[in-house]
Amino acid sequence: MITAHAKDSFERIFRKAAQARLPSSPDDECAIMPLAQTGESAAQGTQVAVLTISSIVFRLLLILHFDENDSTRGYYLKEADERPFQEAFLEICNLCCGAMNQELLRYFPDLGMSTPYVLSARCLPHLHELQPALLSSYSVTLGGTARLGATVCVCAYAPVDFIADTSAVEETSGELELF
Amino acid sequence: MIQQYLLAALAGSAATALFGLAAHRLHIARFAARLRADAQAQIESLKLEQNNLDVLAEERKQAEHRLQTETAQLRAELMEQSASVDALRTALKAATDDKAQWAQQARQLASEAARLKSLGAAFERWHEQMISLMTQNHDMHAKNQELSSIVRHVVIVSLNASIEAARAGAAGRGFAVVASEVRTLAARSEELSKSYRDSLHRNDLTTTSTFQDIQAGGKMIAASLASVESMASQFHAKLDEVPA
Repeated sequence: MITAHAKDSFERIFRKAAQARLPSSPDDECAIMPLAQTGESAAQGTQVAVLTISSIVFRLLLILHFDENDSTRGYYLKEADERPFQEAFLEICNLCCGAMNQELLRYFPDLGMSTPYVLSARCLPHLHELQPALLSSYSVTLGGTARLGATVCVCAYAPVDFIADTSAVEETSGELELF
Repeated sequence: MIQQYLLAALAGSAATALFGLAAHRLHIARFAARLRADAQAQIESLKLEQNNLDVLAEERKQAEHRLQTETAQLRAELMEQSASVDALRTALKAATDDKAQWAQQARQLASEAARLKSLGAAFERWHEQMISLMTQNHDMHAKNQELSSIVRHVVIVSLNASIEAARAGAAGRGFAVVASEVRTLAARSEELSKSYRDSLHRNDLTTTSTFQDIQAGGKMIAASLASVESMASQFHAKLDEVPA
């Protein structure tokens, strides 16, 4: 259902979005390593944030694995930040999925994105029940300290074929420009 | 002598007069010849001009004929043109009537698309119901965890019972059988609890992915309807720009 080009495109779109949106500061290093099996990524965290991008021909689940430990909390919550960790982290997840959605809109004009929801990582072994056409997992290390996991799951309901051009530099947004 | 002179003078005068007359006649003859020649030349020239005028008259006649033909053609074309102008006028009137209908339809389409955008609220409502379902799932997770902890306790109790039965020797043999049976039942309960936990996790994933798909699909439909509404409004605005 999904061609090799489309699989490669989904993966590149994920990498680009993750590198742009997952680090809390643009200077932080974001190392993304592919994992051989989805089970391995479950070891990257006991909880997962799930988001869905739906189109007419496919749905994509972006699953970000996390542990609410000191290193992750310290990475995403700065001293002045009084928000609960999950609120800050889910905002990051939303931004990352939003960047993927934005990129996919160039190839699929009808798309919608869900709000994030947190589940136990023990749900992941059941991902195959959704009969995904693409299931790939990654280990993500941010700024050398925080570790996350990520899984991209795409279920196709019609043939999906496209070649994404991810060479364009990510546009900065939300920054106030003064002249 | 004088008479001789007079005669001679007379003779000279007569000769001169004769000579003059002859010269005069010659001159007149030449003049008449020249006049005749000029007149002939003029006659020739007039004849030539007459011929030219004849040719011109012929050409003018032909030109007039051509003009008449062309005028007839132009008249026919004018008739056709005026007929097609009438047809165009009728078509324009029909188009103007159609335009009003289209404007009305475009307005209806835009308002229908705007109305359908509120479908998004229904999708959000379904998504909220997911939260309620997930709360129930969490509750079942907690109850299952409690069950699992009871089962673990029962396993320990049954083990203790087995040990006590062994201590009682022959008298405790029947009790050992019961303790073993209780342990077997506890092990089966534990398996069932694990399987139930797996089912709950699967249920969590299926529920979340389904309701997120509904929520995202709702946003997709709302965005598409917004685009239809915008196109219908643009179409309506363009129809308004066209003069009737």
